[in-house]
Amino acid sequence: MSAKLDDLLLNDRGFAFDAVDGESYQLSPTALQLVRWMQAGDLEEAVLLDRLMDSYEVDEHTARRDLDSFLSTARELGWS
Amino acid sequence: MSGSIIPIKTTLVKLAYVTPTIRRLDAGGGNPFRHGHTNACTQIDGVSVASLAKEFGSPLFVFSEATLRRKYREAHRAFARHYPDVQFAWSYKTNYLNAICNAFHQEGAIAEVVSDFEYEKARHNGIPGRDIIFNGPYKSRESLMRAIDEKAMIQVDNLDELLTLTDIAKQRSIVVPIALRIHINTHTHEVWSKFGFSGDNGEAEQILRRLTTLDCLRLRGLHCHVGTFILDPVAYRIAASRLVELAVTAQAMNLGPIEYLNLGGGFASKARLHGQYLPPDQVTPSIDSYAEAICSTIQTLWPTSQKLPRLYLETGRALIDEAGWLISTVVAVKTRPIQGATTLPIAMAAYGKGGQDLTQSRSAHGKGLSHSLSAYGKNIHTQRGALTHNAIVIDAGVHLLYTATWYQPTILPAKATADPLSATTVYGCLCMNIDVVREEAPLPSLTTGDQIVMHPVGAYNVTQAMQFIQYRPAVVMIDEAGCPRIIRRKEDLRYVQEMEEMPAHLAKPN
Repeated sequence: MSAKLDDLLLNDRGFAFDAVDGESYQLSPTALQLVRWMQAGDLEEAVLLDRLMDSYEVDEHTARRDLDSFLSTARELGWS
Repeated sequence: MSGSIIPIKTTLVKLAYVTPTIRRLDAGGGNPFRHGHTNACTQIDGVSVASLAKEFGSPLFVFSEATLRRKYREAHRAFARHYPDVQFAWSYKTNYLNAICNAFHQEGAIAEVVSDFEYEKARHNGIPGRDIIFNGPYKSRESLMRAIDEKAMIQVDNLDELLTLTDIAKQRSIVVPIALRIHINTHTHEVWSKFGFSGDNGEAEQILRRLTTLDCLRLRGLHCHVGTFILDPVAYRIAASRLVELAVTAQAMNLGPIEYLNLGGGFASKARLHGQYLPPDQVTPSIDSYAEAICSTIQTLWPTSQKLPRLYLETGRALIDEAGWLISTVVAVKTRPIQGATTLPIAMAAYGKGGQDLTQSRSAHGKGLSHSLSAYGKNIHTQRGALTHNAIVIDAGVHLLYTATWYQPTILPAKATADPLSATTVYGCLCMNIDVVREEAPLPSLTTGDQIVMHPVGAYNVTQAMQFIQYRPAVVMIDEAGCPRIIRRKEDLRYVQEMEEMPAHLAKPN
């Protein structure tokens, strides 16, 4: 896990503060949950996909597509 | 009994899903989730959007009979309050589906047509010639002869048409009643000099003098359609004033009597122009303000010794635009990087402050800068510093929404969601880069299969929709009892190919 992800501060309303570079973010409720799972150590895409589908009313097609896009953005931000 | 534990399978209620998104914030940004549910268009005239799409397919044009009848009655009442002799003519080109035309005819509108085809259509709908206003820059000799025979109101557009009418009248030794179309510079927008004779440079008076030498033509009316989507009723005050002047001049030349003035149409609907800063509710004049401008001008200036002329109006857009919706379905979800985005306060821009600070997402389509989000003012999740831009592909496109070139339809999801709005590019389904329905529409996250609803789209889109790459969709009208009825079926291959002919040597591909 990257230091940026480890240091990322979250609140329950999806506000995220990156303590490394001082940037702030707004995460949608699903993104917030994904980041929390990632901070807990679940970094594998397949694991995140399973957890997403177990927890949310979402079909596999949509979940795969959105997770791919989300992880791409997370990687750009150094949250992986 | 063994001591093994049998796992108990439980069924948990899963959480509602919204697209996982990450948006960078600037200092001071609020919590976009505070607004709760976003606006949605879940039903039209009490019929659920989902059921309409399921029964009739997607995309789908939907018209509300109750709305179009209400709009007609409101408009007619507004003019009748101000003027004793008013007659509306339904502008066929705005939407000439027969069911639409007949609804307006049932309300009392006669027909205004601008081509041979539209003339035939009006006659096919049972409108007698005397109740047809025949406009347009091109009327064939044959159609003019028919219009004369059937006593239609011919509004002459140009000198060639006047000469053709003169020729027909002389050949038949008859007197043909006519009206003249005049264009007038109202100084509120660019003058529509394509149509009619100039009321500004002496051309109209010159034609009037010519008419004094032609016993075979009798002037009975004057017409001016100042333009389209006219947001300033003053334009009509100026046009009406000039038409009255010309009528007085004509009657002084012993032409006439002038039985009618026709102020055309062009009244704005609650559509939103590209680049329009304020929302339509704050910009679109009331129909009453147009009525007051036209009627009070005529009544003030018309010679008191003479009977007031009948007032004809040919408004189309203002009656039908808001009665039409387009349902479409999301077929793909994309993101697109924001190139060269600068990030500035949207909320301030919505109230006319900080105009230098508008968010300016440079268009990926070469259409310039888009400020569309800022004008909505509230319930918008700002995209300041967003990393990507949401985009969706829908099963409709600009081939169905010709007016998207000038107007930005409101786009709403067909179901309510707690997801915040963000600027979303709405791509059409055509394999053409120009097929972008909205550069930036404020939408929640959507996924494939979700329906969206575009409004207002009732004016000009059905008549200008083209069969290009895709079939044109079905059109339904929800009647006043709330029952959706097909008024145009979805196209199929047989229909599209019906007019084609195959030379024998090309009958087989090889």
